Amino acid sequence: MRRFVSILLKEYRHILREPRTLWMVFLSPAFVLVALSTIFVSGSSRIDLALWDQDHTPLSRQFAGALSSDADFSVGHVSDYEAIEDLLVDRRIDAALIIPPGFADTVQRGDTAPVQVILDGVDTFVAGQATGSLLGHAAHFGLALSRQLSLPPVPLQIHPRSAYLSDATERDSMIPGLIPIVFSLPVIAAALALARERETGSLEALVATPVRGLEFLGGKLVAYVTAALGGLLPVWLVTTVLFGVPLRGNPVLFILLAADFLLASVGMALFIGNLVRSQQTATVIALFVFFVPGFFLAGLTDPIDTTNLASTTFSYILPTTHFVTVCRALFLKGATLAEVWQPALALLGLSITWLGLGALTFGKRVR
Amino acid sequence: MIDSLHRIWGLVVKELLQLGRDKLLLGFVLLGPLLELLLMGGLAGGGVENLPLAVVDLDRSRVSRELITRLDQTDELLIKVYGDNVAQAQGWMQDGSISVIVVVPPGYGEALTAPQQSAKVQVIADGSNYVVSTVAIATTENVAAEIVQDLTARHAVASGGPVELRFVARFNALLDDRPHAITAMLGLIVYQVTLIIASQSFTRERELGTLEQLRVTPLGRLELMAGKAIPTLLVGLVDCLLMLGVIAVWFDIPVRGSLLLLLLLTIPFVLAQIGWGTLISLVSHTQQQALLFVFALAMLEVALSGFMVPAGDMPGVMRVLSAVSSVQHYLVILRGVMLRGAGLRSLWLPGMALGGIAAAVGTLAWLRLRLGLDTNSLSRQLQALWRIHQRERRERQANRRARGADVRREKKPRQTRKPAYADVRVESGE
Repeated sequence: MRRFVSILLKEYRHILREPRTLWMVFLSPAFVLVALSTIFVSGSSRIDLALWDQDHTPLSRQFAGALSSDADFSVGHVSDYEAIEDLLVDRRIDAALIIPPGFADTVQRGDTAPVQVILDGVDTFVAGQATGSLLGHAAHFGLALSRQLSLPPVPLQIHPRSAYLSDATERDSMIPGLIPIVFSLPVIAAALALARERETGSLEALVATPVRGLEFLGGKLVAYVTAALGGLLPVWLVTTVLFGVPLRGNPVLFILLAADFLLASVGMALFIGNLVRSQQTATVIALFVFFVPGFFLAGLTDPIDTTNLASTTFSYILPTTHFVTVCRALFLKGATLAEVWQPALALLGLSITWLGLGALTFGKRVR
Repeated sequence: MIDSLHRIWGLVVKELLQLGRDKLLLGFVLLGPLLELLLMGGLAGGGVENLPLAVVDLDRSRVSRELITRLDQTDELLIKVYGDNVAQAQGWMQDGSISVIVVVPPGYGEALTAPQQSAKVQVIADGSNYVVSTVAIATTENVAAEIVQDLTARHAVASGGPVELRFVARFNALLDDRPHAITAMLGLIVYQVTLIIASQSFTRERELGTLEQLRVTPLGRLELMAGKAIPTLLVGLVDCLLMLGVIAVWFDIPVRGSLLLLLLLTIPFVLAQIGWGTLISLVSHTQQQALLFVFALAMLEVALSGFMVPAGDMPGVMRVLSAVSSVQHYLVILRGVMLRGAGLRSLWLPGMALGGIAAAVGTLAWLRLRLGLDTNSLSRQLQALWRIHQRERRERQANRRARGADVRREKKPRQTRKPAYADVRVESGE
């Protein structure tokens, strides 16, 4: 126990003696969260639209005018296909809308007039948004026209509502999801702390002392988990005070699950730190495991798709995936333990597994 | 000049040898990107599919079943459970087992077919994931539009609204999510590998004590920087080419534009990362600090890259900042060349921006290197300047006093003072 405490104190001293490291471990998660979150505007984004009116009638101008006055669109006018193609290649528009000649005649006959929409298919999310907005707009215009021309109303209307978000802002949904990702910083620091001992040779000196492998590993683990938990407070303040996303769930549950997540992540980091000889290698592996997958595989934007076995397995091995679910449930849904027991159990299982693996591999190397 | 090239070559060989010696590192640097791309491309390729849907059908008619079947047939939605009432379904949403609730009200079938009425269907989407809720709502709206169109065709009157939109998607006719996601991954992986290798360059030497040996070699500052930069540039380009091959063969996304142009524009992108990495490695005491700097920087770059929010949609300050994010410009170039088949005529602006960023960051790194290889050299230099300033002030004061003493010669002679600069030690810069 005394040996464990002395290792713990040594690690704290390592973190505390360098202002840069201290800043990075305690405050950088909050700082990065602010930077990541301010890019989201509250409210939906505008769609850049090029409009080519081939009809030139009062009705087609009315349709175009209704689009221009809609806050969802920023409309520019063009008059040939080459211009549309150039604008699409240059990424200056998200979609182009072509009103064909004879539009007004067809509508006034009571028939359905086709309107061509050319989407930029590269960003499918933006393309989907554009499709939805334009469809909604066309339906709305149709409704207004049908009242004017006494046609029957549109037979089927969808009343959409986003649960848990009063005004469906992207930012409110992203901020809790980003919390696990910003905590990769102190976690990776732990991997390097271990690799450094091996690279600089101070590990050999430690082996000669009566400190046992588990005490050494435990000291490092506890030091980095508690340091990162300290960093949770500024992150919490940023989320609730600065961005106004309240924690609807139980704060104690949140802290407990955060500690569980950090145990699993630091355990994973220590396991990585065990396998490698140099800090450079540890860095590269840690980035491969924590950085890009955090954004793509943890279900931050696209939910986990269970059709690809290899990728799904990797997603569920990452503690980040489960904590993203937990953070969103606790902050936005006000979930209780009974509702998040699955990710909570997964985190517990992962922390035991990674810590166990870390202890096993470490024991072999030192003894 | 030849000598200089020779010295740079020596350093390049040493760096490559060092890289080759650590087999695990080499494997991760060269094969890691491919592995990660395959793993993530397989997952993120699917896009948003099979969102679990709960249906609350209060109408229970043939028409309402048709709506439900159509919803189930979409790629995006998959019926998981039927509920009796909304409260029950909301309970399932609370514990995350479903993402979307569709409520068909009683009397839906009659309202749909009655000429003067509208049927109203409520859709509740899980807003805790914005992407999920947006996609779910858009999907149900599309299904509703289809149903209306069918009705219109059946009654042969334009009751589906007078305007019908016909959509065509350019560059990606099937609106596949994968090309967009995979290009982002390619950019981010090249970014992380090059930044990491560059950021460890000086820090590693410092921590292992070999930096002092480098200092006594005849390598100049620019030679030192070039020798450290070239291996990283090589690694970046090789990684980029390997991944482009995998993307073309495995994911079947060929490069539509000029591969040469893409590689040429990759060079300033990698150089910008080398600049940032060198700068970080010059100000970090330990590799751990360097990594944390890298991570903070990388998070910022990802935020500004337009991967999560298109750069044009960001609030004012961040939009301005995103102009200096090299990842953002590189993703524009990648998608332009690979997916849109764009040429230099469309891409000169991001290309110039990348060149500008690389030049600016490289200059900063060079200026920092001029100050010296010590992490504290900036503060040392400032301290030295301050001491010189102090010494000059004291000398001036001493001169003034001496002149005063000249005038008042009659008074008793002053005791001799020590020279003012005797206690000033000028630090030797680096």
